[in-house]
Amino acid sequence: MLPFKVKKILALLCVCSALITGLNAQELYVSTEPASNMPKNSMGLRLTTEVMPGSDVSLRIVPEVMVGITKNLMAHSIVYISDVHQQQQRFEGFGFYAKYRLLSIDSLQRHFRMAAYGRYSSIKNPTYYLDPTASTPSVIDIDEINLEGDNSGMQGGIVATQLLHKLALSASVNYTRASDNRGGNELLAGQARETFGYSFSAGYLTYPKVYTSYDQPNINVYMEFLGKTNLGNSKNFMEAAPAFQVILNSRTRIDVSKRFQLYGNMNRMTKNMWLFRLEHNLFNVF
Amino acid sequence: MKKQIIYAVAAILLLANSTQAQIIKADVQVSGLTCSMCQLATEKALKTLDFVSDIKPDLNKNIYVITFKKDKSVNLDQIKSKVKGAGFSVSKLVATINFNDVKVSNNFQYKYLGNTYHFVNVPTKNLSGSTRITLLDKGFIPDNTFKKNVAEIKAPGYKTGQIAGARIYHVTI
Repeated sequence: MLPFKVKKILALLCVCSALITGLNAQELYVSTEPASNMPKNSMGLRLTTEVMPGSDVSLRIVPEVMVGITKNLMAHSIVYISDVHQQQQRFEGFGFYAKYRLLSIDSLQRHFRMAAYGRYSSIKNPTYYLDPTASTPSVIDIDEINLEGDNSGMQGGIVATQLLHKLALSASVNYTRASDNRGGNELLAGQARETFGYSFSAGYLTYPKVYTSYDQPNINVYMEFLGKTNLGNSKNFMEAAPAFQVILNSRTRIDVSKRFQLYGNMNRMTKNMWLFRLEHNLFNVF
Repeated sequence: MKKQIIYAVAAILLLANSTQAQIIKADVQVSGLTCSMCQLATEKALKTLDFVSDIKPDLNKNIYVITFKKDKSVNLDQIKSKVKGAGFSVSKLVATINFNDVKVSNNFQYKYLGNTYHFVNVPTKNLSGSTRITLLDKGFIPDNTFKKNVAEIKAPGYKTGQIAGARIYHVTI
């Protein structure tokens, strides 16, 4: 059973998508990856800044290089820098992401794609934080396994993306196994080592209504739902992540997204974060 | 017998010389495209082909009108590969070929620059000047249409696109 709040948002989303007929759908999702791949021989340079709100605002800076290796295989190499776990900005670690397109069914106004993906992260961060409200120093375990900056580990998943006339929908599931973080930062006895992740994303183009050139800016609006359930302690959360995107010259992408936790009982470092991203794509670089 | 072979060879050579047909341009419709970034990537990939001189995109219909260089030989399979490499598929390819009085009919095979063009479902007629021919082979039409065609089009080499290791394109007008 989905909580009432989620149902309400899903219903709203359906109404929205019904209203916006006559527009093209988009699938360059902000918080997830679609099943579609980058073009072969292309390269993308990405700089993401995540801002965690709260009394002590923290910032994670994530430079990323993305490469289309073959028509079916693409890979990202990623670096994480933040002050999430301490006062000063520092290098936290690195990661790799790869996606392989398994299935591609194209027809003129629709397509369906499926892809398998994997992620590896090596991170040097503590697995707990100090309770800011406690008078004597006491620690709180971090429940969320987040390979995008907080945890070392491996992830495997499957994503399916469907473009249906005017609407692009995408859903993914993944399994993550965390390992101890580098620098002697072991996972604690009560902490889950495995988590099951799931997402649902929808997107559409609001401008232009009619394409006339590659120089026209594209404006896309997204709604994404991002959830995780830990295996072992059954802690979970679900976030809604509306996003706004502008694409300039068909090459440069600017994303802004804000996440809202709809429900959850996990101690997390990235709860309700803002995401700002600049991405530039280069074609035929190899 | 020897004489007949010589005549046959001479006839083929004569045919090859007299025709001087030329592929001028191709209208390539690409399916699966959803964003101008994808369209630009596809166009950039097509531009790397050395026989392409100019590309005019219709961004709403997802059609690229590709004009070819006069002094280079055109390889339609490479167009298909570049579109695939960009992550999409060709759903229609209409080539404009300049014919010099060629009489075509059903199952007529036309040899041009090492490739064979096998005409399917065409009336008997003379082709002269610019003629638009549509490819029917795998990778140039939607996959489900190709599957349907395999049952219906009995032309030799349709399923594989090859006869005795040589490329054969199946086309209609």
